[in-house]
Amino acid sequence: MIPFSAADVAPVEIDQPSIDTNLDVDRPWIVLVWNDPINLMSYVTYVLQKVFGYSHDKAESLMLDVHEKGRAVVSNGSKEKAELDVFRLHEHGLWATMQQD
Amino acid sequence: MAFGFKRTIQSKGPDRFIINLRSDLREVIAAVCDDVLAALDDEDATHNNPMLRRVFPVAHASDESVNESYRDLVHSDLLRTRREALERVSATANDAELDRATLETWMVGLNTVRLVLGTRLDVSEDGFPQLEPDDPELPAWALYEFLGVLVGMVVDALARTA
Repeated sequence: MIPFSAADVAPVEIDQPSIDTNLDVDRPWIVLVWNDPINLMSYVTYVLQKVFGYSHDKAESLMLDVHEKGRAVVSNGSKEKAELDVFRLHEHGLWATMQQD
Repeated sequence: MAFGFKRTIQSKGPDRFIINLRSDLREVIAAVCDDVLAALDDEDATHNNPMLRRVFPVAHASDESVNESYRDLVHSDLLRTRREALERVSATANDAELDRATLETWMVGLNTVRLVLGTRLDVSEDGFPQLEPDDPELPAWALYEFLGVLVGMVVDALARTA
């Protein structure tokens, strides 16, 4: 590799973001847990408490949403956070997916 | 399992649990964990095994690019933590007492076995099907029900001491 001096480097042109920022990356992601016939209701409640630190009441009400409505949003945030949350739910065998809100 | 005189999983505080299980049931616990471990032995084979689809679920309902990047990111971690949990349950199946962390590993490990078995049995919301006494699937259903009762008792023990 040949070192070069700062004088050789062309001035950096900065691309200013346009005002119309319809960037997908700005949209938060949601994490869903889906109803499944295998996991016990008490198990799902306990896992939601353990993974997210939710109170028993909050975790139970989310679990009942999953059970009665087929799915519930259990967390949201950046893509990276959603991936981590989905991973932790998958580690516990819950049927979780993520999507952009 | 006892007949109501003694809880199957007795808590002695939040970090000590006495496991009252017959030795033949403990053998079943170790054996089913070892069975699933065998299915997880070859990493390549874990990607497309339909019996393992609940152990390695997709991350997005429809976007294959999200699923691909998620798989690349986590599959080997998910496989490793599954293996570690099942190995730990198998290794402690005969222990008279478990600490909280190990009981939580039992919860997750036994639930993993239940997911695999439930997938094979194609369990639906209808629950236990009508089976003839000589149905070849009866032992698998009995095992599935046993694991359900056991996971339920583990969760109860953890939840009442949380």
